[in-house]
Amino acid sequence: MALLKREDWYDLARTTSWTPSYVSEEVLFPEEMSGSRGIPMQVWETYDEPYKTSYPEYVSIQREKDAGTYSVKAALERAAFVDKADPGWVSTMIAHYGAIPLGEYLASIGEARMARFSKAPGNRNMAVFGMMDENRHTQLQLFFPHANIKRGRQWDWAHKALRTNEWAAVAARSLFDDITTARDAISTAIMLTFAFETGFTNMQFLGLAADAAETGDHTFASLISSIQTDESRHSQQGGPALKILIENGKQAEAQQLVDVAIWRSWKLFSVLTGPIMDYYTPVAGRKLSFKEFMLEWIVGQFERQLLDMGLEKPWYWDILMRDLDSTHHGMHLGVWFWRRTVWWNPAAGVTPEDREWLEAKYPGWNKNWGRCWDVITDNLLNGREALTHPETLPLICHMCNLPIACTPGDGWDGQDWPLEHAGRLYHFGSEVDRWCFEINPDQYKGHQTIVDRFLAGLILPPNLKGALKYMGLAPSEQGQDAHGYAWIEKFRAAKAAAA
Amino acid sequence: MAAFPLHCNFQGDFVLQLILVDSEDTMDEAAQKCAYHTVGRRVAPRPDKILRVRKHGGDSFFPRELKVADTGLRPTETIDVIFADS
Repeated sequence: MALLKREDWYDLARTTSWTPSYVSEEVLFPEEMSGSRGIPMQVWETYDEPYKTSYPEYVSIQREKDAGTYSVKAALERAAFVDKADPGWVSTMIAHYGAIPLGEYLASIGEARMARFSKAPGNRNMAVFGMMDENRHTQLQLFFPHANIKRGRQWDWAHKALRTNEWAAVAARSLFDDITTARDAISTAIMLTFAFETGFTNMQFLGLAADAAETGDHTFASLISSIQTDESRHSQQGGPALKILIENGKQAEAQQLVDVAIWRSWKLFSVLTGPIMDYYTPVAGRKLSFKEFMLEWIVGQFERQLLDMGLEKPWYWDILMRDLDSTHHGMHLGVWFWRRTVWWNPAAGVTPEDREWLEAKYPGWNKNWGRCWDVITDNLLNGREALTHPETLPLICHMCNLPIACTPGDGWDGQDWPLEHAGRLYHFGSEVDRWCFEINPDQYKGHQTIVDRFLAGLILPPNLKGALKYMGLAPSEQGQDAHGYAWIEKFRAAKAAAA
Repeated sequence: MAAFPLHCNFQGDFVLQLILVDSEDTMDEAAQKCAYHTVGRRVAPRPDKILRVRKHGGDSFFPRELKVADTGLRPTETIDVIFADS
């Protein structure tokens, strides 16, 4: 029997809306879950997903892709790349595996919400595949690091990180909850798929894949570039949802969802991807700077897409452009200084060659960030390692849950953006973080940052030891300088030569 | 006397930090508690300067002998600590 072509049956088969008779439409699609915003079902049925696939096609393609990725892993495992790789690159993998796999699982919950509660049949259909994608991504990114657990317990944080109160894990959960698990189906389509996956996963998965290939890590490159092909497909769910909102008088609301999600995603990637690209990856393996990646993959892409869609650039675009030169340098310095509180070993990435590269990519780096690293380097050269560790907590932003950092040194611009709301004093790292809170305080007001928890007596004993215990970091899991401070030897040699 | 948490925005440093001072500390004492977590760790000492405290973003310093309890600052409020000539 001849099979119909997919395009001959797809639209009819996936339009699975019907008129409920046992319950009302409102009960079948509760507003807080579906987010239809008063737009009638018939309008949502016009949702036209740009990428169409069937279940047999999905299974066939994904089986082939996953088989290829697993084959690369099996073939290269014998080469024991991890044992020979630069420690900075190993840290990149451990940081990635801790932050991403269970985030993928949270994304599958968001996809499941769209699959069940979106009033757009095309959205529901695509989200089923998206849900399977995210489950596969979780499995892949738990399986790959598992092979390395014999090399150290930090690799186990692929499973562990998002289940702990470790500060970076709290920041990641806060973002994923806000754009994925704590929103209605249409908000999820826009915030998770359009804002987060269109641009930012591109950078993490394709940008990092390029660095991985340059570094010789073909297993990681194959894994994450394979994942990105799925992300590119299911990220297209947001566009048609935005189109319907815009055409039905909800443009301002759509713009706000996009603006919040892009900002919050940017902040998380500034601590996750920024240090990896500009500090952990060995200089020879860096394809582009983090800022260059951001300009190419995020700024350029979003500017085109938003304007094509009939939306505007976010109101804070000039602030974002400015912060591309600074935010991730502060995040990196913070992660390195508070290194015992993370599950990977941060590479300082500030040898003389690194600093030359940083100055070239970020003019003024030496007179700003370099001033702090000068003091740190001097302490290490003179046996004062204790002074390269903290004895207190950084102030944590009540939106992004990351330290409130600034440009240090000659360009010092430290600023808190406080807000009193319902008698409580909140702190924010930027006016944009504060704006995200102000437009929707009920979404965020109950959250306690690590500093709030410390002051509330939840961290005992109230010191670094208590904080490490609270974060679930056993001694062998706590971060150390990735290269065991070997990088200071070049400074020592230069000093000796000059003497 | 009571523990009084403040956040410190220290000139030249890259991050704002939680500092536990005492409500009876003078501004000079509070500044020294802030310096402990910054100077010599990420900001080079400046022996030719003294440290002055102001309300975050303010344009004048608190008197050096003023006690934390008398500043009007709220717990967890942010202060600036600045290298000054006098």
